[in-house]
Amino acid sequence: MMTRLFKVLMLLVLFGSSSTYAMEPPPGMIKLDGRPAPALKLGDMDGKVVDLAQRRGHWVLVHFWATWCGPCRREMPTLAQLIKVLPAERLNVYLVNTADTEDDVFTFLATVSPELSSLMDRDGQVTERWQPRGLPASFLVDPQGRLRYLVLGGRDWVSAPYLKFLTELTAK
Amino acid sequence: MQSKFLLLLLFWVPSLYAADSKLVRDGVELFVSARSVEQIRAFYGARGMPPNALQELAKVCFLTVGLKNNRAETLWLEPTRWRFIDLNGEPIKRIMRQEWKARWDALQVPLAAQSTFGWSQLPESRDLYPEETVGGNISLLPPEGHFSLIASFRTGSSGDGKVLELTIPNLSCSRLGAIP
Repeated sequence: MMTRLFKVLMLLVLFGSSSTYAMEPPPGMIKLDGRPAPALKLGDMDGKVVDLAQRRGHWVLVHFWATWCGPCRREMPTLAQLIKVLPAERLNVYLVNTADTEDDVFTFLATVSPELSSLMDRDGQVTERWQPRGLPASFLVDPQGRLRYLVLGGRDWVSAPYLKFLTELTAK
Repeated sequence: MQSKFLLLLLFWVPSLYAADSKLVRDGVELFVSARSVEQIRAFYGARGMPPNALQELAKVCFLTVGLKNNRAETLWLEPTRWRFIDLNGEPIKRIMRQEWKARWDALQVPLAAQSTFGWSQLPESRDLYPEETVGGNISLLPPEGHFSLIASFRTGSSGDGKVLELTIPNLSCSRLGAIP
């Protein structure tokens, strides 16, 4: 009896997982293999610390950026819009600045997206562990803490294909 | 503020890019721009590179490269497949990431500055999806006179499609000078 129940549960888990990750991502979004997300525990400019390990149960978008990167400037306002459209219960969005000074980050965000704040990877070593392949880059981490998608370069997060995908993804 | 904006433009903004050389062919847009010693010093100096590291940077030739994939298939950016050759057809040495890393460690360059330096370099391998752009710096031992870039690109999701080759001739490096 227990064996049969276990098999049914396994099928449900497998079916549920495959249906979630069978969704075709929009252009520019790359499917990842579901390996565990590297550790991420960083403070923001006000000293508030975020630990990714404590965000289990939610989809999380981790966005790596730098003030010197041109596409980051274009992408940032669309992330601010995304946060307004998809509430934190659906998608937690965390910005991680790579190795800039607080002054540079403060000035950049004040002019580009004043409503946003960023975690500070002051020596760049967290970014090194995540290896985003370039800046800007965003990882979508599933509620089990696994890397599911990678988005490279500056994207419009509230464009119809992205918003539709994220809405469906985080509804599950 | 103005200087920060100029620094921002130093790195890949295709629409605003003041390229020294631009080639559009076979669905590939390739931009190459030689950076002056002053630009490099301003950018990395503002990001924590100590004076002895800036001296090292001033000794080499920095090119900012931008690439856009206008093809309907994946385009592979792999600078290890690129060749830089001088007017005599002799290869020009590219300075690799691990060589920079060894220099920075020897000079005790702060990790934050090393990180910024690393992320501002052109990736060593990137599969560019249709419409995707990428950019960054690439560094060479300074050649005498003009030189050419012969850039080879694999295509297709597995890289087994047609191989494209684009040549940008008549490149030149900024005047070299010691940093005071």
